Amino acid sequence: MTRALRPVAVPLLLLAGLEAFARTVGRNSDAVAPPSAALLALARAFGDGSLWQATGFTLGAAALGLGLGSAIGASLGLLLGLSRRAAATSFLSIEVLRPIPSVALIPLAMLVFGFGAAMEVSVVAFATVWPMLILMQAAVRQVEPCLLEVSAALQLSPWDRAVKIIVPAVLPRLFVALRLGVAVALVVSVTVEIAANPNGMGYALMIAQQSLDPALMLAWLFWIGAVGYAINEAALFAQRAMARRMGEVAE
Amino acid sequence: MSTVATLTAERAAGTPAREDALVFDRTSIRFGACEVLSPTSLSVARGEFVCIIGPSGCGKTTLLRAAAGFIVPSGGALTRRGLAVTGPSRDVAFVFQDYGRALLPWRTVRGNVSLALEAAHVPEAERPARIERVLGTVGLLSHADKFPAQLSGGMQQRVQIARCLAQEPELLMMDEPFGALDAMTRQDLQDELARLVRERGLTVLFVTHDLEEAIYLGDRVIALRANPGPQRASLAKVIDVEIPRPRNQLSTREHPQFLHLRRELYGFLGHGHD
Repeated sequence: MTRALRPVAVPLLLLAGLEAFARTVGRNSDAVAPPSAALLALARAFGDGSLWQATGFTLGAAALGLGLGSAIGASLGLLLGLSRRAAATSFLSIEVLRPIPSVALIPLAMLVFGFGAAMEVSVVAFATVWPMLILMQAAVRQVEPCLLEVSAALQLSPWDRAVKIIVPAVLPRLFVALRLGVAVALVVSVTVEIAANPNGMGYALMIAQQSLDPALMLAWLFWIGAVGYAINEAALFAQRAMARRMGEVAE
Repeated sequence: MSTVATLTAERAAGTPAREDALVFDRTSIRFGACEVLSPTSLSVARGEFVCIIGPSGCGKTTLLRAAAGFIVPSGGALTRRGLAVTGPSRDVAFVFQDYGRALLPWRTVRGNVSLALEAAHVPEAERPARIERVLGTVGLLSHADKFPAQLSGGMQQRVQIARCLAQEPELLMMDEPFGALDAMTRQDLQDELARLVRERGLTVLFVTHDLEEAIYLGDRVIALRANPGPQRASLAKVIDVEIPRPRNQLSTREHPQFLHLRRELYGFLGHGHD
């Protein structure tokens, strides 16, 4: 029982400290609010539906962006991993594009897509293409050479080789890349909402700040943290479940 | 199927080239500046079981890989049934030493064997029966739905052999296939292999570092020397094994010729460069 409580002891202590601080020293602060007030604000946001609406928007945009970015990244990674020539041709383009911070693309995305989901999805997609591409390319190059010789000996067609040997061989690492992408997608989507897109959790956070409502702002911060934690745990669980299903893939 | 004796006689009488499953004609292989196989001439008759031995680094695996079409020779000719070897062919099956790496870990035993049939575009309806049949011949029927990681090393190597048999090849290339197995399993698999090869009339090129295994299995044993250099050929010794078949782990290994050949080869390998 004590062991189960151990991980929550520190957060509870911190919350209690913040509560005490906000109720004494920072009583008139515009920046801090007691967690109890934040909890009430959170309950209100639950009640009026704004919480679900904003959460749904952010998660939807993050998921779409991640799906799009991962699909593009995985296919490109597969291609570049298989073909040295393709890798050599695109190496410079990738190395120039990759370091661009995804949020630096917001102005361009805004020009192209305007405000709204499409803009946010495109920026998230840009951010998630790269880790997937790089990990897939490396994974494809590290496919057991012996399996490639088996496919040569059997004279598998290039398509069969990709579908029956390469893709299953890299699948476990594709799930790892996807899980890393989930965290990136969430961070980028909230950032886009704070910076530009008048929708979602990031925007709600901004509005709370601008309307000098630190309790609500704190409530959103907690909520974003909680959602992020839940999503990452879910992704980790899915990845492990997948690894178990392919349990015989001893690496 | 002709017997070993007649095959040997035919070879002596100058059999036409088309009867040979595989012919190395002054074949040499170099990687960069390093000549791994100096010009080697060797004919393998159809249905013949040829074992290749030699110290490590003597090019025996390279020779095998060239015969399978994985490596293109740098010089000389290499023909299979009279046609130049230009790449891998489904008529040639390759059994890798490292069975753990050569099997698809995400497919069951059945699925791994199926891969050979899929590659050969065998209609889906025919596959299950053929898989069952081939698994039956290697004694894996009861393990058909297990994954390779759930099987012992010997069984995994059986799966690989089953996959190669499903390919219905003429030639079987085996690169130290039993090298990583314990002695009992190795002997079982040797006997099974000898039986399968007889039943199917396969031509086998079998690389091993175990000279007793070479004598036990082979119709002929080819010894290669390490670092042949420009003056000497890689091919150091060719020995015909005329011990009758079917061979037996006990009596064959006590056969006078077996002992005699073992001494001869052991002396040769023991002295290294003669």
